[in-house]
Formats: sequence, C-alpha cells, structure tokens
Amino acid sequence: MSSIVRSFRPTVDQKKCVKCGLCQTYCPEGTVILTDEGILFDYRFCKGCGVCANECRVKAIEMVREEG
Amino acid sequence: MSFTRMMEGNEAAAWSAKLSRAEVIPAYPITPQTELISSLASMIADGKMKAEYIKVEGEHTAMAAAIGASVTGARVFTASSSQGILFMEEPFWMPPGMRLPIGMCIVNRSIAPLGTLRPDHMDSMLQRDTGWIQLYCEDSQEVLDTIIMGYRIGEDKRVYLPVATCYDGYFVSATATPTNVPDQSEVDDFLPPYKHEWYSLLPEDFRMHGRETNMAKARYEVQQAQETAKAVIEEVEKDWKKRFGRYYDGMIEEYQCKDADAVLMTMGSMTGTARDVVDEMRANGKKIGLIKLRCFRPFPREELRRIAKKYKAIGVADRNTSFGSAGGGIVATDLARALYDIDERPVIADFHVGLGGTDVTMNQIEYMAKQTLRAAKAGKFKKAVDWVEFHDLGPVM
Amino acid sequence: MILDAVGSNTVVYGDGPCAMCAIRNIKLPNFSIHFSFAADGATGIVAGLRAKGREDITVVSSAGDGSIGDISLGKVSAAAERNENMIQICVDNEAYMNTGIQKSGLTPFGAWTTTTPRGKEAMKKDIPMIIAAHKPPYVATASVAYPNDLKAKLRKAKEIKGFKYIHTVIPCPTGWRFDPAKAIEVTKLGVDTWVWPLYEIEANILKVNSRSEQKPVREYLDAQGRFRGMSPEQIDFLQGETDTRRKNLLDANGKRLFL
Repeated sequence: MSSIVRSFRPTVDQKKCVKCGLCQTYCPEGTVILTDEGILFDYRFCKGCGVCANECRVKAIEMVREEG
Repeated sequence: MSFTRMMEGNEAAAWSAKLSRAEVIPAYPITPQTELISSLASMIADGKMKAEYIKVEGEHTAMAAAIGASVTGARVFTASSSQGILFMEEPFWMPPGMRLPIGMCIVNRSIAPLGTLRPDHMDSMLQRDTGWIQLYCEDSQEVLDTIIMGYRIGEDKRVYLPVATCYDGYFVSATATPTNVPDQSEVDDFLPPYKHEWYSLLPEDFRMHGRETNMAKARYEVQQAQETAKAVIEEVEKDWKKRFGRYYDGMIEEYQCKDADAVLMTMGSMTGTARDVVDEMRANGKKIGLIKLRCFRPFPREELRRIAKKYKAIGVADRNTSFGSAGGGIVATDLARALYDIDERPVIADFHVGLGGTDVTMNQIEYMAKQTLRAAKAGKFKKAVDWVEFHDLGPVM
Repeated sequence: MILDAVGSNTVVYGDGPCAMCAIRNIKLPNFSIHFSFAADGATGIVAGLRAKGREDITVVSSAGDGSIGDISLGKVSAAAERNENMIQICVDNEAYMNTGIQKSGLTPFGAWTTTTPRGKEAMKKDIPMIIAAHKPPYVATASVAYPNDLKAKLRKAKEIKGFKYIHTVIPCPTGWRFDPAKAIEVTKLGVDTWVWPLYEIEANILKVNSRSEQKPVREYLDAQGRFRGMSPEQIDFLQGETDTRRKNLLDANGKRLFL
C-alpha cells in the first residue's frame, strides 16, 4: 500500500549506525524502530519523507528511489 | 420512601433524574428549564444526589460533554429548550447516530424570531429527523414517570437510542400538580445500572462501535431501532403499570372515544384542557373523542392505522408549524402520510393553536371539536389548515 | 512522543481532522468528534471516569490550531475556567491544513495560505498566553524539534491535577512549502530564532526554556516557501516583534505573569 505513495525509501548502513534512536524519535509516522540488531523500517507505513535520513548525525540512513 | 406532594414539572424532572441515578449532568440554563437544573445542583450540593454536574458554558458543549460521558459508560442527563436546542443542533445528531442512550428533557419553548419564553412544540419537533425518541407529557407526574421509563427504553440493547422527554414550559414546568415520587429501591428494581455493550473507554476494555463507513447501512440501523422501540415502549410502560400503578396507554391514548365519529388529537399540556372540554361536550350529548399522542418519535404508525377506521374525522391540534410544507402542521402531515393508503380513512384537518405559547383555551378546543364533528358528518373539513388563533372565540375560558 | 510520555493508562480524545487522523491508529482507548468540539467531549469523559471511580486514568485531549484558536476557543477557555482534569494539547500547524491550507487565527504574519494569497495581514493569536491568563496549574509551549523537552513537559503535566495546556508546533511541509526531509530542521529554526519560544508557566510563574541566543528570523523565513512573498519591511517588522517578545519573556522569566 505504502509503496504507491512513496517516491524514496530509507535504507540504513547498520555498521555506521550508533543506535542513538534519534531517527525513531523524529519519525512522524512511528515507522522507524530501534532494535538490538539495529534500525528497522516498517515499509508498510513509511511515507518516505526523509526526516530520519536528514537528522541522522552519522549519516547512516540514505534515501533511495523506489523501484517501479 | 415514596411520597406525594404538589410539585412543578421542573422539580418532578429533577426528582426523576435523581431516581434514575443519572451519573453525569452537563447542563446550561435556559428559561423555562432553569429550575430543573438548579434543583439538581441543590440536590447534589446537599448530598442528596451523587452525580458529576458539569456547569458548561453553552448548549453545544453540553451535548458534546454528554456524548463524551456516555461513551465512557456513564448514564447522562441533560435538558434544554428553544434556542438552546438549536445551539446544540450540531452535536444533537451524534447520540442517535452513535446509538448512545442519553436522556434529556426538552422543556418546550417557542423559537425566535419573535423572542418569547412561552411554549410551543417547534423546538422539539425540529429534531424529529434526528432519531431521538420523543415522548410528550401532560403533567408533572407523567414527566417524572417518563424520564425513568425513558432510560429503560433507550438503554435496552434492542433500541440503544437517546430519549427526549418533552413537556411544555410554564404550563407543565412551572405548574404544580400532585405528584407521587416513588421509592428509590423500587426504581432501582425497575431500572438496572447502565452498561453499553458497544462502548467503553476504559483502557482494560476499550470498545468503540460503528467505525462504519457505509452511510446507508448506518442510517438504516437507526431507523430499525426506532421501529423496534415501539414494542419496547409498550413493554416498559406495562411494567411500570405493574410496579407503580400508573399507565399512560403506551404511545397513544384514546379518551372518551367510544362511539365517536369525530376525534381531536392533542399533545402535551393542552390535553388536560381538552379532556375537560370533551367531558363537558359529552355530557351535552356530543359524541366527540380525544386522542392523546404521547409518543411522537417513533410515530405510532401501525397503531394509528389500526384505530383510524373507527373515525370519520380527526382534528389535529398542532402546536407547531412547518413553513412551506405540504400540510401545515407537523403532526397532521405525519398522520396524513400514515393513513394515506388505508382503505377507510378519516378526513384530517390541521388546527394551529397555541403557537408562541398563547393559551389553548377551552373555547378554542370547543371550536376545533365542533369543526371536527361537522366534518365527520359532511365528509370533509371546511378548511384543511385552520389558524385557530385568528378567530374571535370570546374570552379565555 | 506524547503517548510515550503519558503511558498506557490513558484515554485520548480528539477534535477535528488534525487530531482524528493522528489518533486513529493508536491502540489506546480513543474517541473523536468531527470539529468545533475541543475539550468539551473530553470534559464529559473526565466526568464519566470520575463517576465510575476511575480518576487514575489520564485524559489527553488533542486538537489543532483551527479548533483551539478559532472555532472551539470558547470551549477551551471554559474547560480552563472549570479546571477540568485533563491535558489539552494543541497540535499547531498554523492553518486549516487538512481541508487544503486555509488560514486560521494561528497562521503567522506574512504567511501564504489559499485564503491569504498575499500573505496574512494579522498577527498570530497568542493562545498559550490567553489560556495562561485563566491561571490554570500548567501551560507550556513545546516543539517536536526538542523531543526531550516535550516529553518532560508531558510527564510533568501528567502528575499535576487540573487543567494543563501544552501548545506544540508541528510543521506541515505541504502547507509551509519545504522539503519534508527538512521538517525537524525548520522546526528547530523556529525555536532558535525565537519565533517559537519554549517556556512553561506553572502556577502563574514563567520559566523560559529557550536558550537566550537568537538566530535571525530571516533564516526561518527563508527555509519556507510560504513566506516568500514577504517584503523587506514586513521581515523587519517581524524581526522587531520577535525581538520585543524575546526581551519581554526574558525580563519576565521567574516572575508572576498575570495580575
């Protein structure tokens, strides 16, 4: 459902991620989840706004174009 | 302890809300309802009644708070009149649509322009499309009994509709008549605590009904609830009769209708006056009867269709009007539609009386009765819509 | 962020499209009425819970700037006057956004909206101060750009009995005209330029949370397309107003605000 609305989707480099949780805090939709294994994105509801990528202090998140 | 004393309609209503164990009362004062809500405030302040009284800043808020409290699971009571009913119009549609059995009193008062404090039925009848159940009362006793019955009816899970107990400002609200206040434990036995099966806002039991987007289905279900209410009203009134000895004949009452070809139809306080006039005319050999319409919504269509064939003419006393409508008064229009397609149907006339709270005098009732008797013989009324007030009918007697 | 702070023993009430959309998918008990019903349905819920002996449950009432600032202002004022035991939150995106970006009383000076195509002529209503004039136990402004401050304020509000009011700015990329990814940046600029100062008023005593350093208002305006039509005179005017407000707030810091 969400991929129709989204032009970009967030992807994360888990090696760069320092697990600060800022992306989870700032996500307007609550679709970024910090777990012990790193960051997960709930792509069912992610709108691709890009706030998480913009706010990440270590630039671990990148917005890539949706396929198709 | 049950007791009887002279009591005005507003005070009787307050006692009734107390006996009904109303839990949340959001109310805003408006003449002629004010004594009702100030009586409640006093009862609560004196510790005689336990309820959350919200002194809201306007009627729009009163109904909104009523909705919030009802969804939370509390039994709600409120009251208003005239302009106040109009001011709560926007949220007024929510309780029936959401199936929340809020109880309220509409202390009838006419509507501006021509600001008046006196009664007619415009304010409550304007709400006839909303899905609220509407019961009209003749005196303080009926007010007291009806409010309690109203909760039993509305909270019945076959119904789940809000109930408006309507009574005339001043003529009922401020007129003292002997009223019996039943014993609290007997009322508790008759009216169990409120528990809505479809709604709860408690975190451990969150339930919310009707996030339905199909409009037609939602509307249809309200209509079905109104239909079901008819049988429930009859049931509840019979139970009240068994326990408390008072019976209002269900949705309509036929008074002195034996062998009558001609009947008047009245609602509210004018019924009391009409009874006297009918008695007098009967004593003089005139075969005139009286139908008291107690339940306006749901409109007792089936029952009226059943009894209509006994009569040749029905003179409806409409204490209201609907501008530009097909039939003049609201009740006459509803009645005509109900009876339109039965095989033998009476002629119907619409008498506008008591608009703006002018007295419905005995002379006026006698006039309506005579017109109706004439119509029963002639097979038609002289005028289909008759504004009785414009006739010079002598002194107020 | 808000629900994180108040916990699960909570009922959420919303008014208007802003709040209804926001709470539609949460798991907590929630109930909304369509519009113009800020704080009043919640008043009923508070009374209902009291009648049921459940005053342990926190009631959070949420409404947008259109509701609180305009059509339901009387309701919120009355709830404050009655000292209703609830947390009233204003989610302020500075216009009637859900219906297509029309001006509200809380749209800022100079902002484009569909009903103020040449920029809004009037100043933004200062709702937090209007509510604070009722002297409720707690009033605060907050911003999603400073989430720890926001959460702390909510946790504090939860522990206070009576009427609490928290006014938060939430940026709207579509209505304010900026790249959605910059939402937190733009909001932060609002606070850092003192256009959106953060403060608390507890029992009528003001406490300023914002740092006293101030970035030029121009930085905030340049980041959003809705201010593009402002003239240099208007920008100067806005800078002047913002400076005055900042000075007044800092002067009044720690003091009683209302008579």
